Amino acid sequence: MTRIKQGSIQKKEPRSVIRVYPQGLRESVISFPNNTMNQQQATIESERCLQCYDSPCTVACPTHIDIPTFIGMIRSGNVIGAAEVVKTSNALANTCGKICPEEIFCQSVCTRAKQDSPIQIRELHFYATQMESRKGFSRLKVFSTIDGAVAVIGAGPAGLSCAFELTKLGHKVDVYEKDGIGGVPRNSIPSFRLANDELESDTNFLSRFFKTRKEDVNARLFEEIRHHHKAIFLAVGLGVDRPIGIPGERLKGVLPVLQFLHKAKIQPSVLSIGDRVVIIGGGNVSLDAAATAKRLGAESVVLIYRRSESEMRVWKSELNEARRQGVEIRFLTNPVAIVGKSEISGVMCRHTRLSKEKDESGRRVPVELKGSDFVIDADTVIVAIGQSVEAEWLEGFERTENGYVKVNKNFHTSVSGVFAGGDMVAGEGTIVQAVANGKQAAHTIHEHVSKKLR
Amino acid sequence: MVDLSINCGGIKSPNPFWLASAPPTNSAYQVCKAFEKGWGGAVWKTIGEPVMNVVNRYGSVDYNGQKILGINNIELISDRTVAVNLKEIAETKKLWPDRALIVSLMVESKRETWHDIVKRAIDTGCDGIELNYGCPHGMSERGMGAAVGQVPEYCAMITEWVTEASTIPVLVKLTPNVSDIRYPGRAAKKGGADGISLINTINTIMGVDLDTLELKPSIDGRGGHGGYAGPAVKPIALNMVSQIAIDPEIQLPISAMGGVTTWRDALEFILLGATSVQVCTAVMHYGFRIIDDMVEGMGNWMEEKGYRSLDEIRGKSLKCITDFGSLNLLYKAIARIDESKCIQCNLCTIACDDGAHQCIDVLPKDKHVNGNVLHIGQPKVREADCVGCRLCYLVCPVDGCISMVRVDDDKQSISWNELMKQLPQPLTWEALRQFQQKHGIEIH
Ligand SMILES: Cc1cc2nc3c(=O)[nH]c(=O)nc-3n(C[C@H](O)[C@H](O)[C@H](O)COP(=O)(O)OP(=O)(O)OC[C@H]3O[C@@H](n4cnc5c(N)ncnc54)[C@H](O)[C@@H]3O)c2cc1C
Ligand SMILES: Cc1cc2nc3c(=O)[nH]c(=O)nc-3n(C[C@H](O)[C@H](O)[C@H](O)COP(=O)(O)O)c2cc1C
Ligand code: SF4
Repeated sequence: MTRIKQGSIQKKEPRSVIRVYPQGLRESVISFPNNTMNQQQATIESERCLQCYDSPCTVACPTHIDIPTFIGMIRSGNVIGAAEVVKTSNALANTCGKICPEEIFCQSVCTRAKQDSPIQIRELHFYATQMESRKGFSRLKVFSTIDGAVAVIGAGPAGLSCAFELTKLGHKVDVYEKDGIGGVPRNSIPSFRLANDELESDTNFLSRFFKTRKEDVNARLFEEIRHHHKAIFLAVGLGVDRPIGIPGERLKGVLPVLQFLHKAKIQPSVLSIGDRVVIIGGGNVSLDAAATAKRLGAESVVLIYRRSESEMRVWKSELNEARRQGVEIRFLTNPVAIVGKSEISGVMCRHTRLSKEKDESGRRVPVELKGSDFVIDADTVIVAIGQSVEAEWLEGFERTENGYVKVNKNFHTSVSGVFAGGDMVAGEGTIVQAVANGKQAAHTIHEHVSKKLR
Repeated sequence: MVDLSINCGGIKSPNPFWLASAPPTNSAYQVCKAFEKGWGGAVWKTIGEPVMNVVNRYGSVDYNGQKILGINNIELISDRTVAVNLKEIAETKKLWPDRALIVSLMVESKRETWHDIVKRAIDTGCDGIELNYGCPHGMSERGMGAAVGQVPEYCAMITEWVTEASTIPVLVKLTPNVSDIRYPGRAAKKGGADGISLINTINTIMGVDLDTLELKPSIDGRGGHGGYAGPAVKPIALNMVSQIAIDPEIQLPISAMGGVTTWRDALEFILLGATSVQVCTAVMHYGFRIIDDMVEGMGNWMEEKGYRSLDEIRGKSLKCITDFGSLNLLYKAIARIDESKCIQCNLCTIACDDGAHQCIDVLPKDKHVNGNVLHIGQPKVREADCVGCRLCYLVCPVDGCISMVRVDDDKQSISWNELMKQLPQPLTWEALRQFQQKHGIEIH
């Protein structure tokens, strides 16, 4: 056995250490992007929580998760309890843990932000649900229910949440869904932001509580469902891409955004989009489409938007992410025609300026500048200017000014016994809002049905 | 289903979590609020002699940005009259028949005075009595509290006065400010106690203000020792609780406290023999709401591990406690660093080099980043020299990076006591060295 140091005291040269953070590393160290926190990170982060008494975060979360309680549970190592708290408040707890825009909800009011920086609330609840599934053990048992008085149509966030809450209230629920369960998170949200198994961890859990029938509901079936149930909750979302209404819209190479995202998620191999992609529209959905096009190999991805950056209704984190991936964003640019013979060759655009006038959304109205036309070359154009609710069997329902289905504060539509929630009543929103809608509606439906039963 | 209910010396509660006798149990308002949140029991703030408090009663130790690692107080027993307290206790008990409500008492050392207060306490309908022999400040100077707890003869005598008058269970609460906790424990047993509560607070001075040169906290420029509680005292409390639990002369149910903040702490006390656990500081810091996690967390842990009731686990870890002379001298473990987890902070290296046995080498490893060269030193344990002291494992900031790996063959075992029977006495260094050499143990 050799002992180097015994007896001889050697003087060591002081080591000069240069610490360099490669670009982007710091950010990723601080904001745990796609990974779950590990136990140590979760403990440290949960210890930062002040456990403040009023917990504004709980109020700001549309589903009102008891945030200080579940964070305290993570702190004590009770991850099963923490998962139970988040899952019983928010039916899509794991999904929201991954992609809920916390910066506009719970985190935006975190008291700790006044001291230094806000608590990473979403990351902590993702940690809780992930740890729970890793442990493979939950004390949440299936509730006993009374027979089928209620039907839910559409198994997206709003429908699933309503069905789960109704089950908790003691109802046996029939769910009708035309595809697999999960709604937009399953069909359209790119898998680099939400992987299938991350959604399935929620949907598998929820499937234990009610049965889902695979049916594309039409007028005839709807009447049949009405006949057999005391109440119906509609949550069919916004299934239809809005047409843009400019020349060339029908050309080959023009893709409505939901179709594009769906294909990119389910069968990316059959999509050929070429090298140059133009995205029309300035919302989060457009950003997802842009990032997806980049990932599919497009060399240049240009997003055009008719107003300026401050009017864009997007989450800053997504905008930054799109830019980081090299998406070019052209503001104050309006598409006037899609050009090409049988296949498209580009998009004819016109510059705009913002007038002093404001539209009903409170944003300044863009005005086209004459004589500023130019063409952006493109192999594919993706149209992402919004979606609408459309179904012939929904014709008898009163609509809002924007064409969504109208409901009162109890989520009751103009048709007796039929309730609705989620994107189809409010327009494009967020998962957590749809979940909250479903949950609130479940309580008014419960009241409605209980009155009927009495 | 997991059953968390307990019976501590005849006092029953639906879960083992009781509020300790302290500010959170000052009034009916607080105790009722706590019961509503789910606490299983409460020991009312000690009542008795007339007292008057001072202002700036608490001090605390904060650590690395965390508040209240420990709290110290110079608060006295309840400063509300005995009559008011007893009335509120009776009202509370009526509203909450299924919870454990215990009255903590401290009066002057006269037999009639004790008989009188015990009778009045029993009249409230409470479930038990706790004798406060602990308070280390204010009351001890008046011949009560720690002044009783520190003298086993007094402790036995007063306990006897109480038990002869009481028709309900009596717990004796011990002060930790003694050199051997078993003596007052045995005295309580002798006096007829039904159970033992421990620990009360520990004598401390919290600090000196370097601007004013006054003590912290300062009462108009002056101060003195107070009683220390909170997370920092837990290891001391665990030791004392286990000493009472394994003492063959005592064998009484234990209501344990000292630093209980979460269900994990509570389980540790129960595994070392406690029946109920009491909580004060954690509630003063975070409020009654922490009971949610305590009950949930304990229940989840039990379900996960397959236990159904606390009786199954009570005292389960006591069998590990032994004296040093019975430990296996041939058990050998060494430190191993998982290089895939190591962040090269080399805190282990410096700790081993300066504070232990100089057996971690730093291997140079250069890394090129953005055109710069990072000189990264990869620590590596020279396993043949590692004595297995475990210091590096403790200082490593990364979870699961350093582990202690067992390297003996698990075939041989000999304790110091056994070895002393084999080696010639009086023991010489020579004889011990021969034993070590035979087993390949090298001392540097
Ligand atoms: C590309 C994209 C990205 C998004 N990213 C985020 C994000 O990161 N974070 C976030 O919080 N929100 C995001 N959102 C918004 C969020 O996905 C929606 O607000 C939410 O999914 C709305 O839920 P819903 O239940 O109302 O409708 P949907 O999710 O649309 O669900 C409706 C369901 O009804 C079914 N259905 C429709 N018609 C019928 C019929 N006739 N019969 C039977 N079933 C039918 C559909 O198949 C679908 O499963 C994003 C939306 C899009 C489009
Ligand atoms: C402010 C304060 C006041 C206390 N007052 C009493 C008391 O009146 N009677 C008593 O028996 N113990 C009293 N204690 C001691 C507690 O009951 C308990 O034994 C001790 O705080 C340890 O538990 P903890 O670490 O959970 O705080 C007091 C403790 C504190 C911090
Ligand atoms: S905690 Fe309440 S009683 Fe104590 S000093 Fe502050 S305000 Fe006064």
